Amino acid sequence: MAIFRPEDEAQVRKVFDGLERPVELLVAHGPEETPLPGARDVDFAAETERVVAGLAELSEHVRYRVETEPTGFERYPAVAVLPEGRDAGVRYYGLPWGYELGSLIGGIVEAGRAESSLKAESLERLEALDRDLAIDVFVTPT
Amino acid sequence: MLLAYKAAFASPRIRASAIESTEFPALADSMDVWAVPRIVINGSPQWDGSVPERVFFDRVLAPASE
Repeated sequence: MAIFRPEDEAQVRKVFDGLERPVELLVAHGPEETPLPGARDVDFAAETERVVAGLAELSEHVRYRVETEPTGFERYPAVAVLPEGRDAGVRYYGLPWGYELGSLIGGIVEAGRAESSLKAESLERLEALDRDLAIDVFVTPT
Repeated sequence: MLLAYKAAFASPRIRASAIESTEFPALADSMDVWAVPRIVINGSPQWDGSVPERVFFDRVLAPASE
C-alpha cells in the first residue's frame, strides 16, 4: 500500500528535491513487538519501517537504515533524523503518520539544509545557551 | 514540533523528540497530556499548543536566563 496519494507524493518529491545535503534516517526497533491492546495488532515497528522506506524512495538524498536497540533511544519504535549521518538528537517516537508525518518530513527538509532556517536572532540566542535541554513534544496523528 | 527539531539541528545542547501519545499512553499520562502538542522540557511539562518562533524561544530558553 502506498504511503502517499499520488499528488502528495509529487509534492514530497518536490520538497526533497531542494535538499542540499544527504539525510539519513535511522529506524530503531525494540527487543520485541508490542502491539497495543485494542490496536488490532498493528505492528507499529514494521509500519514505521515501511513509512521510512517509502520516504527514502522519494529522494536520492534520503537514505535509511534499521537497527535493533541502538544506543541513544528511550523507547521504540523510533526514527532518528541524521543530517549527513550525524546524530543531532532529533527523534520521532512512534509511528509517523497522519499529520505528524508532515513533522518528520519537515525535519528531513531542515536536516537537508546547509543553513538553519531559524531567524538570526534565534540562532544568536541558541549560541548563548549554557545548559543542555531535552525538548519533548507530545503529539497525536490527527 | 518543527521548531524543536530546528533548535536541535542548530544547537548541540538541544535534543528534540516527538512522542506519539497514543502509542506511549503511560508516558503521556505521566505528563498529563490532554491537548497536543504538549511541550515538555527536561521532563517538566511547560505549555500546550503551537507558538511563533520568538515566543517558542522565549519560553524554551527562559529557565536558562534566570
